[in-house]
Amino acid sequence: MRLVREFLALFSMSLSGIPQRAGPALTIVVGVACAVGVLVSMLAMGSGARREELGNVRADRVVVTSLGAHGFDGSISRDEAAAVESLPFIRKDRDGRPVVVTETAAPTRGSRRVSGRQVFVPLLGAGAALTEVEPELRMTAGRMFRRGLHELIASEVCAREFTGFDLGDRRSLRGFDWTVVGLFDEGVSRQCIVYGDVDSLMSSFDRNDYTRVVARLASSADFTGFSAAVRANPALHLEVHREREIIEETFAPLNGMLNFVSYFVGAIMAIAATLGSVNALYSIVDSRRRELATLRAIGFGPAAVVIATLCESVLLAVPGALLGCALAWALFHDMSVSPFGYSFQLAVTPPVAALGIVWALWMGLLGGLLPAWRAAHVPVTTALRAT
Amino acid sequence: MKYLPLVWSGIWRKPGRTMLIFLQASVAFALFGMLQGLKTGAAQAVHQARADLLIVHSRSGFASSSLPLGMLGQIASLRGVKFVDPVELFGGIYQNPSQKIGIVAVRPNPGWLSAFTFRVAPQYAAALANTRTGALVRVRLAKRYGWKIGDRIPLQTNVAQRNGSTDWAFDVVGTYGDSDVGGGNDTILVNYDFIDEARAAGRGMVQHFNVAAADPGIASTVEDEIDRRFANSPNETQTDSLREMAQQNMQSIGDLDFLVRAIVSAALVALLFSTATMLMQSMRERTTEFAVLKTIGFEDRCVFLLILAEAIVIFGAAAMLGLGLATFVFPFAGRFVHGISMPGIVFAAGLALAVLAATASAALPAFLTARMSVAGALSGH
Repeated sequence: MRLVREFLALFSMSLSGIPQRAGPALTIVVGVACAVGVLVSMLAMGSGARREELGNVRADRVVVTSLGAHGFDGSISRDEAAAVESLPFIRKDRDGRPVVVTETAAPTRGSRRVSGRQVFVPLLGAGAALTEVEPELRMTAGRMFRRGLHELIASEVCAREFTGFDLGDRRSLRGFDWTVVGLFDEGVSRQCIVYGDVDSLMSSFDRNDYTRVVARLASSADFTGFSAAVRANPALHLEVHREREIIEETFAPLNGMLNFVSYFVGAIMAIAATLGSVNALYSIVDSRRRELATLRAIGFGPAAVVIATLCESVLLAVPGALLGCALAWALFHDMSVSPFGYSFQLAVTPPVAALGIVWALWMGLLGGLLPAWRAAHVPVTTALRAT
Repeated sequence: MKYLPLVWSGIWRKPGRTMLIFLQASVAFALFGMLQGLKTGAAQAVHQARADLLIVHSRSGFASSSLPLGMLGQIASLRGVKFVDPVELFGGIYQNPSQKIGIVAVRPNPGWLSAFTFRVAPQYAAALANTRTGALVRVRLAKRYGWKIGDRIPLQTNVAQRNGSTDWAFDVVGTYGDSDVGGGNDTILVNYDFIDEARAAGRGMVQHFNVAAADPGIASTVEDEIDRRFANSPNETQTDSLREMAQQNMQSIGDLDFLVRAIVSAALVALLFSTATMLMQSMRERTTEFAVLKTIGFEDRCVFLLILAEAIVIFGAAAMLGLGLATFVFPFAGRFVHGISMPGIVFAAGLALAVLAATASAALPAFLTARMSVAGALSGH
């Protein structure tokens, strides 16, 4: 009880003294703000990338690939694809046809509007059920491609960021002219992606095998049943993945790198900020030597002094953390970046901001330890005698 | 020189405080070194990439079997082309699906190495040319799987042989290194002719051609000439030099320029703020000492420079430590960008920045101290 009373008295004294020690106090706030700002903006890249990657994931959508092949390097024969379509558990459309698309992937070139730089954008050949397998795909202009024709539809992002994907534009692929007949929007996805009829694409690229098959199941609970049905058929050298797994695997290198860089740079900044606040707190404690010695002399315990100093340190970190989060949000939230060919927007989300604040509290606590110890061990007699 | 002891004793007046400033500055400079090093290192890597090595691929993208081998003769006959080699790429799996291996099929005809960035010992190059089923393996790959010359390595692929099997076996005949910026690590080199004859589909096709231009100066002319030669044909080409491709690769990191600059500025702002406050505090504590110095004849300018020198010494030493640390850990941070190293210019820039930062943070406290009135300071006001 006495400890609490002593602590409250000390703590209110510390707080009322902050204006006189504005320099060191500001140092802590600024240091923590910079560290948290950097950490939060770096983490915002990761959270933005994830939001973008997983935004369209559906639990009932599965991807069938050839064994051991992930993403777009598989080869699935027409017989295998036909066998997959007749498997149970697949959702049926109004006319009783299975909601399955066979896909083939081929890169095509896009030229960035801003820089003129050429990059590859994925061109996917897809079957007729595309809109049912991907209900998030919404035509915003023009119409769907027709079967057997050299027609393409491109996401709005393509048209916005690259030349040559506007409605009516013609592109030459393997000596054939392909016309962009429609533009679509895929909700959260900001990737440029182009679709065309799978059979036309395969015949012009001289291919006989599909790269993968995407299906929607009657319900997401049917995954195990469907997976078992694929395994049970000896003619199928295929494996089934949930859409989320495929995407997580595809983006694992990017996410891993973003996380590593965020925590690495964030940790360095945090160390620097902690060192800075140790220094500032030392000078605060030093400037209060006489005050502290007086308090000790009239009977305040060292524990109360330690706790009060630690609390002051942690408390000073809080405005720094909030300032850092606010700066990160103001400067970087929704900023579009496209590192390593993936484009996404930074997202300063509440969990990211919360993590930044937790880090800040730790910086305050760790930074306060040594100064608190010194504050509690002010030699009473010498400190009182000093001028 | 005679002022050195004075500067030195000033620095160590409060060792704890000085060490903390020193450490904080070191950390900030380590961060600067790493981030700036990545950026400058990337630019240097682009500069070092060969401009005379051209990659001719299909305009519709990089895909296996996308151009007919017959184009080889047509490219070779163009002016300025020194050497052309076909390249076909496909993926293989060694033992289990997590052990992916890139299979690069080339024609090891005399002079082929001029069209690649590979480093191959002459006896290994000869061995590959003489062994149809031979393979050269990346040094690191050989080490990882313990492959030795004479070993036969079985790989599962997506490419079917004429007998229907998709398993291929190659005989290790040597090792090779690759100086390319973007080159993969887990790759083996095999004979294109062997692959092409044995495979069931896609015969006579290649993924791309590697072309060595006779002279880097005419590389861009050669590029245009190749693409013009195949314009409006079913096999339209896109030719880029290795340097252009490296540039595109590195540019993708360049998008983060703004972020890198923001981080470095944040670290510096925090550092400057903290140091300036500490120096102010230090000056206040030492007012009497400086007043004494001025009394015994030190000019204002001299006092100013003394204080500045203290800050520069601390920051300079911190920058050395921090940049040294950055150089040391650079290979770890640089693992995401192949083939770049810490550029010396970053070190120099870091030291210059240290002097600048020291001046910026010490200028105000130094100025105030140098200008103070001696009488006031000595009488305790």
